[in-house]
Amino acid sequence: MTGAELLRLFDPKLCLFELKATTKDEALQEIVDRVAPPGSRNHQFIHEMLRNREHLGSTGVVKGVAFPHGRSLAVSKLMVVFARSQAGVRFESMDGEPTHLFFVLLAPPQDRANQYLPALGKLVETIQDDRLRDRLMAATAFEEFAAVIREN
Amino acid sequence: MMNPQEQVLVALQDLDLMLKEATDSEAQFRKMGFDMTNIEELRKARAQLVAQLEPAHVQHYESMQKRYGRAVFPVTGDMCLGCFAAVPSVYRSTLYEDRVRMCQNCGRMLYFP
Repeated sequence: MTGAELLRLFDPKLCLFELKATTKDEALQEIVDRVAPPGSRNHQFIHEMLRNREHLGSTGVVKGVAFPHGRSLAVSKLMVVFARSQAGVRFESMDGEPTHLFFVLLAPPQDRANQYLPALGKLVETIQDDRLRDRLMAATAFEEFAAVIREN
Repeated sequence: MMNPQEQVLVALQDLDLMLKEATDSEAQFRKMGFDMTNIEELRKARAQLVAQLEPAHVQHYESMQKRYGRAVFPVTGDMCLGCFAAVPSVYRSTLYEDRVRMCQNCGRMLYFP
């Protein structure tokens, strides 16, 4: 999967450049609020699915990045939601450090092109680069963010 | 509008998708650096959901899972997305009733998004 293909999974309207959350629960809630109307069934299902995924093991990896992910009947197409917290969120990350960058991958039960795992793998691979993470932390608009993803 | 039994069925289906993926693709997830250690937690959550369902629904769910790999399918445009057969329009007007709707063609359990 190329950076350009990965970028197509992001919706600029769903990006959150200033998360207010400070805890894992608050962060998931704030992100899902973007994806589905609060109080709706879809919101409830997506939120529950992401919380269950965190029970399996934290998706907060290292270097201040988390990749919450999963499939749900409430999702109709594969999508990635980007969220960022300058202050950092307590996300039970593997290195115990605060999490700043969130890439939330949501998929329907079956995505036709079967891009779910390749997209997750591409995100994880891309974000290993220290300079790239610095650029994502500094991006002020979706176009700046998109340029970083597209180039990789 | 969704009745409580349907709500539990959708949550159960989502959880089963996660359990299956965690098992089938565990090596891939681990290679990406993800922690998958607490699978027992998910199994406990599954048992709690199952306990909220009527026994007949559990039996039908398990039978559909076995036959099709997935028991619950969404309805779009009055069509079951499992077999693409038309769903009776009366289903929509009775969504508030606490009963589970099934596709008359394939038997899959239906979710009305």
